Amino acid sequence: MAASAADVRSILSIPNPPPAGPSTQAKKPQAAERAKKPEGIPRELYALIGPTAPTLVTQFAKPRLKQKPNLGGTSTPEDADYPFAKYNVPATPYVYSQDEYTRLLEDSKWTKEETDYLFNLVRDYDGRFFVVHDRYEFPGRPERSLEELKDRYFSVCRKLVRNRPWAGDEASKLALISSLTYDKGKRASSLSYEVSPVNVPVAIDKEILRKQYVASLENRTPEQIAEEDALYFELEKLKENERRFKKDRDELLRTLCGIESGLPDISIEDDGLASAALDTKKKKKTVAGSVEPQTPITPSASNVIALPQPPPKKSAAKSAAYDALHCIVRTEVEQTAGSSTKAAHIPVHLRSYKLAQPKTAIAPRVFQLLGELSISHSRLVMPTRDNLAKFASLVDAAQQLVEIKKAVDKHEQDIKTSKARLATLRGENPEGVEGGDGDALGTPVPMDVDDGAEAEGEVDGRAQSVMSTRSTRSRKQGRRSMSISSVDTAGGPNPKRQKQR
Amino acid sequence: MVNYGGDEVSALVLDFGSSSLRAGYAGDDTPKAIVPTSFGFIDDPAEANGGDVTMGDAGATEGEQPPAPPKPKVKLHIGQNGPSLWRSGMEVGNPMHDGLIQNFDCVPPLINHAFSEVMRCSPSDHPVLITEAPWNTPANRERMAEIMFEEFQVPAFYIANTGVLNAFAAGKGSALVIDVGQSTASVTPVVDGFVLRKGLAHCALPQLVHAHAKHLLTNPTQTRQGISLVPHQLIANRTPVDAGVPAKFTLREDRQAGTTESWRAWAENHEVEEWIQSVAGILTQGWNDQFASGQGARHYEFPTGYNNYFTGMERYAVGEQFFAHSSALVASNPNLPKTIPSLIVSSIQQCDNDLRQVLLGNVVLTGGGSLFAGFADRLSAEMSRHFQHVKIHAPGNPIERRYGGWLGGSILASLGTFHQLWISKEEWQEHGKAIVGQRCK
Repeated sequence: MAASAADVRSILSIPNPPPAGPSTQAKKPQAAERAKKPEGIPRELYALIGPTAPTLVTQFAKPRLKQKPNLGGTSTPEDADYPFAKYNVPATPYVYSQDEYTRLLEDSKWTKEETDYLFNLVRDYDGRFFVVHDRYEFPGRPERSLEELKDRYFSVCRKLVRNRPWAGDEASKLALISSLTYDKGKRASSLSYEVSPVNVPVAIDKEILRKQYVASLENRTPEQIAEEDALYFELEKLKENERRFKKDRDELLRTLCGIESGLPDISIEDDGLASAALDTKKKKKTVAGSVEPQTPITPSASNVIALPQPPPKKSAAKSAAYDALHCIVRTEVEQTAGSSTKAAHIPVHLRSYKLAQPKTAIAPRVFQLLGELSISHSRLVMPTRDNLAKFASLVDAAQQLVEIKKAVDKHEQDIKTSKARLATLRGENPEGVEGGDGDALGTPVPMDVDDGAEAEGEVDGRAQSVMSTRSTRSRKQGRRSMSISSVDTAGGPNPKRQKQR
Repeated sequence: MVNYGGDEVSALVLDFGSSSLRAGYAGDDTPKAIVPTSFGFIDDPAEANGGDVTMGDAGATEGEQPPAPPKPKVKLHIGQNGPSLWRSGMEVGNPMHDGLIQNFDCVPPLINHAFSEVMRCSPSDHPVLITEAPWNTPANRERMAEIMFEEFQVPAFYIANTGVLNAFAAGKGSALVIDVGQSTASVTPVVDGFVLRKGLAHCALPQLVHAHAKHLLTNPTQTRQGISLVPHQLIANRTPVDAGVPAKFTLREDRQAGTTESWRAWAENHEVEEWIQSVAGILTQGWNDQFASGQGARHYEFPTGYNNYFTGMERYAVGEQFFAHSSALVASNPNLPKTIPSLIVSSIQQCDNDLRQVLLGNVVLTGGGSLFAGFADRLSAEMSRHFQHVKIHAPGNPIERRYGGWLGGSILASLGTFHQLWISKEEWQEHGKAIVGQRCK
């Protein structure tokens, strides 16, 4: 920073170069700063201080901050809302009138004064019942248990909520009531557990029972705890043994019987031997029922990964309804249990990948036929399940048509050659091939052959379909089979044209 | 309504203890003024010295009633130069007994000394938070409020429980606070900032420990004679002697006449206290004769010049009194204070089953008496023997341990949310004494 190019220039009195490119922005403030150089400071010294160091100028300048520190005064107005007050949410106070008390809340074991006292305490201590119980000293009453206090408080609250008009909806009321539910638990006379001298009907309820459990847990002697621990370890050890035994048994079965054992290779978690046995039985049945040949199993095949059997459909009716509702279609997975070869395995695929394909031998012609219908053979715009099925049937039909046409042509050809041979044998004009057409009229061809086919012959055949001329067949054949030419060449009947005619 | 950030009210926090009175500003981490609670007073010559000192149970000075309540005419000597300076005819008193203030006559001078003389501030300018023992009586706290409002003209006042404050100082809302002070040991269950009064257990166990130590020192044993506990204020000169050799010193004859019984007892107890703090300890894993005698002896010299090596048996027998009483002692004295473990057990048993785990997981050890060497380790060993899943919070910093109550008060009074709880002077004038019980639950 001590000496930039500009400084050197200014020292050597070289004029500043014309501003070039991006450096202009950087230089301009520098120049401006230099212009502010105070009197009495040598330029060299000023350059050493540099523009980054806090210059004397700024030190001499008055402080820019006008705000005075606020010592002792309050910056916020006295009556401003306390911003955190919204977090101080008081619990809903439940109060009742004398009338409500006499109508709803009478209890033989509680006076109104004592209930009032309880409610005041709960409000004072924000519902901390441990503290309420600790501070509870109602004159002239024997000590009440924590459960009694809670029970009284919550039962009163429940009654009040239930019997008062409720502004909200029914659900919120029920939710509030259930939040106020307190199952105090009452002492059973058969139990020696005595909390209060008050006699309560015989029924063991949750809270007191739970406390009894806690107390009994805490009152265990160290010996009992040690014994429980030992028992627990013993149980764990037994479980571990059983698991190992089961694993060994499965391994053995798999080695001996292979897939026939019906054991999944991934060992199921320890859900018991019984269910495993059941599973095995079921699987054996399915294997026996399937017609697929069983692949030979070598001992090493025990670690072949087989897909586990899909779980049997439970409650088929219910799931069918569910499926219909949600447009779920379930396909039967082919049984591959018997064959563990790779070829038989069908990986997961998209439906649109599995378009129906014609036999490779006649595929081009089928495609041609489809093309005439302006249907793409390679992809469907909407490969829905129904569309695919239709497409498959279409391809099937086209394939059949092509095959039938082929057979017809073959037979016609046969007939023709036979006729030609017959004619030669009879010494007739070998040109009678043309005339053969006339005979052909009589042949029981199920297609509507025109009467004028003979006359119009080639021309018509040509004019009818460009496609037909592209046929690999001879023109004659095309002409002869004029009526089905479209089937022949384009692979499908052309209904439009047939109507025209 | 004050805001957070604008909630500094520069409150004063005042913590009364049996041994010392702690005062300071809320928000500080150490009290500014630590004044001995014991004070010296000289009766007006016109008044007869009606005080006849009754030092029962091997003399626990601080815990006993002061012999005579100082009348307005008496001259009080308070502070560092209070009782520790010998003055002719000076008695020593202490307003505290059983952790409570029993003698309110000398409380205003003590508070005044702490605020005006040591801190040099005027209590009429600051809200004051005062601590009380968990077993304090309503009459006592009302009297305290009266003193603060009427005599010191404080703008606002609050009285908080040391158990709760100790829990706050440890950063806990619910805790089982074990507070071992100079005169009283207490176990206080605190739940959500409220003391469970039914679970409160306290006794004068530290006084028993002190008495035991004094007995041990003053009574002759096989190896040594009884040790004289003459304080240095009464000794003119002494000559160095070897360990175990009887001391050679001369008393200040001029002071013999003016020394009162109460001062002498205070001074001797002071010597015993010094000895305990330097020498005594607690075995961390329960009493074991062999192990105790295996511990090294420790050297200590008394003001008389007498010095000796105190064996492990002697040193650890003192601290052992906190945790177990010998069967001979139990047989001879049926009214022994409970040991710390039995205090804890009796306190826990009074608490609800659901609370026990919470409390035992948050045990807070506090009080100067708990700084006994090995106390915390022994406590954790004893508690793990009785309960499962015990976690003890014992601050390692002696300041935090000794002044935990003050520290909690300092934290509490500096909280913005606390300010709504202050009892203001207007409220006091309007409602009278009843507001103290209403506001300070």
